[in-house]
Amino acid sequence: MFQNRTEALALALPAAIFAAAVFLVPVVILLSDGFRAPAGGWTISAYTDFFSNPLNQAVFLRTLRLGALVTIASAVIGYAAAFAIVSLEPGAKGKVTGLVVLPLMISPVARTYAWIVILGRTGIVNQAFQALGITEAPLRILFSETAIFIGLLQLFLPLMIISLISALENMPKDAIPAARVLGANWFQVFWKVVLPLTKEGLVIGGTLVFTGSLTAYITPAILGGSKVLMLETLLYQQVSVSNNFVAASVIAFILIVMSFAANILLKRVATARNKQRSPQ
Amino acid sequence: MTARSLFIPVTLFLVIAFLIGPFLIIVAASFSAGETLAFPPQGFSLRWIAKVFTVESFRASFGMSLFLAIGGTAAALVLGIPASYALSRYKLPGAEIVRTVVSAPIIVPGIIVGLALLRYIVVPFQVGITPALFLAHTALVLPYAVRVVSASLDNLRSDIEEAAVLLGSSRLGAFFRVVMPNIRGGIMSAFILGFVTSFNQVPVSLFLSGPGVRTLPVDMIAYMEIVFDPSVAALSSLLAFLSIGIVFLAERFLGFSRYV
Repeated sequence: MFQNRTEALALALPAAIFAAAVFLVPVVILLSDGFRAPAGGWTISAYTDFFSNPLNQAVFLRTLRLGALVTIASAVIGYAAAFAIVSLEPGAKGKVTGLVVLPLMISPVARTYAWIVILGRTGIVNQAFQALGITEAPLRILFSETAIFIGLLQLFLPLMIISLISALENMPKDAIPAARVLGANWFQVFWKVVLPLTKEGLVIGGTLVFTGSLTAYITPAILGGSKVLMLETLLYQQVSVSNNFVAASVIAFILIVMSFAANILLKRVATARNKQRSPQ
Repeated sequence: MTARSLFIPVTLFLVIAFLIGPFLIIVAASFSAGETLAFPPQGFSLRWIAKVFTVESFRASFGMSLFLAIGGTAAALVLGIPASYALSRYKLPGAEIVRTVVSAPIIVPGIIVGLALLRYIVVPFQVGITPALFLAHTALVLPYAVRVVSASLDNLRSDIEEAAVLLGSSRLGAFFRVVMPNIRGGIMSAFILGFVTSFNQVPVSLFLSGPGVRTLPVDMIAYMEIVFDPSVAALSSLLAFLSIGIVFLAERFLGFSRYV
């Protein structure tokens, strides 16, 4: 450990000043815009205006709903996938984990674009449905909440699976057999043994998936179109179409508050378990 | 076969098909001979792969993305390596504040960073489009640079550079001759992570892009809204293979995943 303060500051300050000037100060000013009254002073009228508009309410609720649904779906699928991967031989485990991680390296634009081919009017899903006689006319799947849900799930599922794999691997090996021997059925094994022991992994994965879904831009932009908006695409429209910078600031603040709230809430869930366990 | 022994292969097949399948479909669609994007592809040709290289805006935006990814990451490392060194080796006053400030851009959604930069740096100070994008991408990559370089500095024993100083080397000489060679893997990994992050980034660049000056992914989104041919599929496949190749080589030669 070196003690020279001047040297330390000389090394650290350029990065800190850069981040403060290019990032922190502009973002703080932007966020304060939504609270500024036109005549001077501070007000929350921009927020009451924003939430009194039914369209904005719908977008806000849709963003929350999609975030929650994608997180729940990725947790359910994630547990099944992580269980299956953990039970593989070490060699196969590495290869399958590699396949799960692979999509993370691919541009999200490319990954989202693929769903246009699959979900479009003449896409694979519609071809299959029509061939099987499930529908007569092509279904309109693209530019809907369903399309955004599928796109977000595919984008963020790997993060959940990876978090759960490491959580399951850190679980004591004999916990499940022990519970089975003592007469627990599979549902009880999951609910009373696996879930409490892997909660931290679930919380980490859940935070990544939820905040990722809330703040995703590419997926709702491509798969939702201009009608089915989420908060990020609404923000973009407010600026580029309506030139409404106050509304943009309001949305930005809501997005940041939601991300932080999710982080804190989920961290609290994870530590609550530790407190419960510590007296033993 | 019992239901349980079927569970593992069926689950794995479905999950992998969901995660990788769309990408394979994009690759297949890019070899189509047809006029519109479709799967199964109509015939086989390389015309859409070839077309990617002839679209003027793709060439320009690819160059821009490459410049931002390489230049922005290099700039982030120039700022980030000394800061990481100060954080890990010095008693730095306000270390927590510095750490929070340099890693903050990762927490805030990119679209907000882009808008804030546009309104309060680009417009008031009359910054051009390219320098503005450069600043944004540098800020975006800085948290990754600091995190990865700090991790490899923390794994390196600090007494070797103290020994070098005691033996008469200057602090700077000790850094370049003793520390740098030992954290080269970490720096390379930070560079690759920063490169991929910057290259694939969309929201930060949205508001900062201007007429004729765009990053490649922003250009692709704009193109696919107008033209419905397989060239975006072809470009997507090319880019995907490029980034998979980079990460594969990095893992092979650097043990990339150790650092990230």
